Amino acid sequence: MPTEEPKKPLASIKNSLVQLIPEAELRDRDDRECGYHLEVRLVTRGMRRVAREMRDRLFFLETITAVDFLEYFHLVYLFTTYHEEHLRVMARVKLPREIRPFSVWDIYAEAIWLEREVYDFFGIRFQGHPDLRRIINPDDADYFPLLKNFGKTKFTAEIDDILC
Amino acid sequence: MLNPKTIDDASIEQRVYQLNLGPQHPSTHGVMHLLVTLDGEVVIKLEPVIGYSHRGHEKMAENRTYEQFLPNPPRMDYLSGMIFNHGYCMAVEKLCGIEVPRRAEYIRVITAELNRIASHFIGAMDYAMGLGAITPFLWGWDDREHILDLLEGIAGSRLTYSYSRFGGVRNDITKDFYDGTRRFIDRLRGRFWDYENLINQNIIFIKRSQDVGVITKEAALAYGVTGPTLRGSGVAYDVRKQEPYSVYPEFTFEIPTREAGDCLARYQVRMAEMEQSLNIIEQALDRLPPGPIRSKVPRFVTPPPGDCYCTFESARGEAGFYIVSDGSRIPYRIKVRAPSFSNLFVLTEICPGHFLADVIAIFGSIDVTVPEIDR
Repeated sequence: MPTEEPKKPLASIKNSLVQLIPEAELRDRDDRECGYHLEVRLVTRGMRRVAREMRDRLFFLETITAVDFLEYFHLVYLFTTYHEEHLRVMARVKLPREIRPFSVWDIYAEAIWLEREVYDFFGIRFQGHPDLRRIINPDDADYFPLLKNFGKTKFTAEIDDILC
Repeated sequence: MLNPKTIDDASIEQRVYQLNLGPQHPSTHGVMHLLVTLDGEVVIKLEPVIGYSHRGHEKMAENRTYEQFLPNPPRMDYLSGMIFNHGYCMAVEKLCGIEVPRRAEYIRVITAELNRIASHFIGAMDYAMGLGAITPFLWGWDDREHILDLLEGIAGSRLTYSYSRFGGVRNDITKDFYDGTRRFIDRLRGRFWDYENLINQNIIFIKRSQDVGVITKEAALAYGVTGPTLRGSGVAYDVRKQEPYSVYPEFTFEIPTREAGDCLARYQVRMAEMEQSLNIIEQALDRLPPGPIRSKVPRFVTPPPGDCYCTFESARGEAGFYIVSDGSRIPYRIKVRAPSFSNLFVLTEICPGHFLADVIAIFGSIDVTVPEIDR
């Protein structure tokens, strides 16, 4: 028996994400505290399904970025909508260092550059990306500058507990 | 747009060639490199090559305290530095839960909107200059100079302001600034008519802008286009209305949009936005509340562990700071969403099929700042 589509956009998004990606963890967040309404937590995969769902709902991709935690990355995707009712969804993938995530370039064309930037600074190689080259750093660079073990940046072990 | 003439196989190798526009080129604002593949005069493929003014702001952030990073954001987008400065302070305040006095919020809005006008002058008049009209550029430069003088009077610098501080602003506005801004509003209102006559009635300008570089709504969505570039395509998306921050909900102003999506529409949106910014400034000056300009903030802020994404409307579109804090005085990661980055990438979609001369027009109408793309 089909469940009735909830009227509120946020509830409706949550409803379809739960059905699409049962393993995802959804959290309601306070927009005034952290700037987004819904946090989707994934482990290793499922991002393409989230992106496709957001694309169907006419959300645009604001940015893709990564945060380095030495043993793994957090890949962060932010979606928001042009519609009058403001809503922002943040999807976060926990990604072990050796795993290569799938590109979302065919869903959002903007991701071609955004993923190139993530590759350029973190060395994350997206699978299926048509043109994964350096974008901002020199073409012949042999370093990935935003990794925590590059340069003198400090890193802490306790941070793991904070965002997970 | 035009159809390339049918060509015989023998001459193909001579006809199709690559041209480097930049990195040093008078019509690219800053060190921007466009690699254009041409068939005669018609663009087949265009690839922006960026990174020439990369300074590593995001890495710098991981090596210094939140206060020490304060001078960096205005150096990313040097044309609307006040807005980036305001945005960064907002992001840290959101992360730490710092309250800002109302007077400080009003002053921030006044200075940010003044800066937006100055930035739109560069955007719109540089565009006109790219099409061969020198006079509007010099007029715009003249008007902009008044704004820079006003802001220099209170902030101490002409472009890269660090005027907003966590919890307020550095110092109160002076009577000179107040009177000067009033005079400037009157002056500029009288000048719009001149700009209208000088540019909008110019047949060359219209012919070279109309139906050139059309960005459709679908392309805008796929490429994450924001700001005046998006509003020229008929989408009324503005962070100041959509996700109101600071004291913007207290003012009445409109979001100008145009349906056409071409270069002319983007230019018109910028000019219309300047008038709206004047309205905001006037309302803010009328209702400027008394009171303190800075709340009590510790010398070094230490945000609680967690993350926060804070967006604001810069002169080029939706900019944002994504900050991850590990609970220490030094940010764990700061990511900047640069509106020009996404707005520039859409060029690869819309330029093919246009004349090379139109590329200059399209690039100018999108109004990017290069240091912000490269960061």
